Amino acid sequence: MNKWFKSGSPWIWLSAGGVSISLISVLGLLWLIASRGLSYFWPSELYQFDLTDEHGTKSVVIGEIYDREQIPVSQLAHLNLALDPKQEILERLLIKTGNRELVSLDFRWLLSHNIQKTQTPKDLVVVERRTNGNFYGYIESVVVDGKKVASNQLAELLTRVDNFQEQIDDLQKSDIGAINYQLERLRLKTRKYQLQDKLTPELQAQIDSEIATLNQDYAKLEQELMGYREEISRDHIVMRAMDGQLVTINFESILKVTFNNQLSIVDKTALFFSHIGSFLIEDPREANTEGGVFPAIFGTVLMVLLMTVIVSPFGVIAAIYLHEYAGKNAFTKLLRIAVINLAGVPSIVYGVFGLGFFVYMVGGSLDQLFYSENLPSPTFGTPGVLWSALTLAILTLPVVIVSTEEGLSRIPSAMRHGSLALGATKAETLWRIILPIASPAIMTGIILAIARAAGEVAPLMLVGVVKMAPNLPLDGNFPFLHLDRKFMHLGFHIYDVGFQSPNVEAARPLVYATALLLVSIIVALNMTAVSIRNKLRERYKMLEH
Amino acid sequence: MISISPKALAPGSDTSIEKKLDLSNLTPEQIALDINKLNLFYGKKQALNDITMSIPKGQVTAFIGPSGCGKSTLLRSINRMNDLVDNCHISGEINLHGNNIYDKHVDVAELRRKVGMVFQRPNPFPKTIYENVVYGLRIMGENNRRRLDEAAEQSLRSAALWNEVKDRLHESALGLSGGQQQRLVIARAIAIQPEVLLLDEPTSALDPISTLTIEELINDLKKQFTVVIVTHNMQQAARVSDQTAFMYMGDLIEYSDTNTLFTTPLKKKTEDYITGRYG
Repeated sequence: MNKWFKSGSPWIWLSAGGVSISLISVLGLLWLIASRGLSYFWPSELYQFDLTDEHGTKSVVIGEIYDREQIPVSQLAHLNLALDPKQEILERLLIKTGNRELVSLDFRWLLSHNIQKTQTPKDLVVVERRTNGNFYGYIESVVVDGKKVASNQLAELLTRVDNFQEQIDDLQKSDIGAINYQLERLRLKTRKYQLQDKLTPELQAQIDSEIATLNQDYAKLEQELMGYREEISRDHIVMRAMDGQLVTINFESILKVTFNNQLSIVDKTALFFSHIGSFLIEDPREANTEGGVFPAIFGTVLMVLLMTVIVSPFGVIAAIYLHEYAGKNAFTKLLRIAVINLAGVPSIVYGVFGLGFFVYMVGGSLDQLFYSENLPSPTFGTPGVLWSALTLAILTLPVVIVSTEEGLSRIPSAMRHGSLALGATKAETLWRIILPIASPAIMTGIILAIARAAGEVAPLMLVGVVKMAPNLPLDGNFPFLHLDRKFMHLGFHIYDVGFQSPNVEAARPLVYATALLLVSIIVALNMTAVSIRNKLRERYKMLEH
Repeated sequence: MISISPKALAPGSDTSIEKKLDLSNLTPEQIALDINKLNLFYGKKQALNDITMSIPKGQVTAFIGPSGCGKSTLLRSINRMNDLVDNCHISGEINLHGNNIYDKHVDVAELRRKVGMVFQRPNPFPKTIYENVVYGLRIMGENNRRRLDEAAEQSLRSAALWNEVKDRLHESALGLSGGQQQRLVIARAIAIQPEVLLLDEPTSALDPISTLTIEELINDLKKQFTVVIVTHNMQQAARVSDQTAFMYMGDLIEYSDTNTLFTTPLKKKTEDYITGRYG
């Protein structure tokens, strides 16, 4: 035994054990969110359950199985079930039944004990809609322009509607959006002239005529839009719900009609990937509980990139000062300790600081100076993507400073001396020799900063993240990048969907899917940074002294 | 007792005997560096005591002595590399062209261009061979490609490295062997045409064959530059230098032409050291 201790193998076992525990927990976490998240995209079987309850009443339930649970009978005592007294455990199923216009709840629990018959009829249909969630049922009839037609024309009709819908989106987003933007600018221009007392009648007339032209264009576009709308709402389908009620669904609100039970495994796989695709590129719908997360992806990535652009130069410059120029005295030591401790400040504190300093002080002053025509509605004096990036830059600054300093102190003095002895000044040595060699360490700092910033949510809630941003911070209107705009963020999206949504049960898989996406994005950002660092390392690899 | 025949191995030794200089009575034209009452302190500890000596132009001067005797410190004072050491104080003068390099308004970078230095371990920058050689020129603002190319070739030829690296100038300098790296560093130092070249134990990290190459190189270099070399190796000092200074505990014990110092030393300490009684 003593020999075994001396041999050092206990330490090997201990450290290997530590590594395996970390690995297992990371993989377990990834497996959990991946399996739960990805199952959200898989088109599941549609079931029809024939039920008989305790009083002998028969009913039918149609829907997807969402979850299964074993519950002790004692918990169900209040239902006065006629059960075998020996039976202790009952199974119950969570069924997503949709049809929100008929029943206010999307989900209901079924005791498997009540189920008389389970079947998966081929003609059962799930209709994804713009509002009111999914509808489960049978297609009763397809009505085109008031006349019933064969239901095999459905696909064709849906494509037609999709085309119109695309045109409507185009019109609304680019053309009408641009006109609105220009009108707003003209309003601000007028206001500016008014404030400066320069608004002459000629100017007023000129602006008025511009506004009139824009309004004319607007009216034209609106008419076009109304035309499309009419086309879209021409047709409808009549659906039979599980209780036999007939429900009319206009094509206007239909996104997709799927016969899930007729799909082969290949179809399902194709549908699975198309669901993932639309999750990535579409805007969210229905208070974020349906649709995609594109604005949140875009917001997260843009904010992190902005943060990186801000934090890297500041962190590197601060580290250079601390390591190369500051005197080696107690004050510098104190400063270094303070910087390291900054990393331990709770992130919400940075949020409060960002709100007070950046948003109200800096942003407020910017508004007073440059955007006074827009007041009292603020431009920069309100939370936005720039302030979020700045706040997170401050939050991650210590990480960059510490790792850059580390990198600087690892460079052998022979490099410095070699350069200085050739008549280079300290600044030239820093710029041409030290910084390139330290660049892998700087990249390490940036990687850590990205990892920290991309996962941070709390401070962002105070300085720029919103549940639903009407516009992306990047669009076709000058100056294209609107740093004053609020944005959506995946981390906040998870919180919002998971805990603030009206339909928590429906949103749960979405939470996992979004979490998986957030992790993948952070991993992707990090991998990019790591590969840059490895290239730099290869290039500046040190002598083996 | 071991007797060393000083010039036995040095090529071209007979010529240096002919122009034996009177070191205490050099004319200003013959002097490259004039060190006058130099005292150097690291904090409170004195590392150099009242050093006064003149280093002649166009010759190789060696500093020898046991570890910690101050020979490297003295060498580093000549291009003010000691400025980089905290708590280092200096009094006295080192004159280059009659100007004290420790004057307040001396541009240290400018000084180091005139007094180049090569260190104990080869320290090529993690750049290409070419970029290493032209580094000093780039610092001086030379960006003309043709002139840089010429300077690189000439310096590499002077450092006896051209034939080995001419086909891979744009590969990393870190791929060279230790001896090649040291010659690269010498090429880098002479590319900016200094007047004085300081070599701080340039062969102590190298194998015997590379050492021999570098020693031959030093003999060629003195045609263009004044060379000052610090070495642990007495045979090396005997082989390559024209003058030798023996230092001990921060004092300059004896300074004379190499032949005299190794054959008929005046001081007891010198004799003890060169015969191997201590050090």
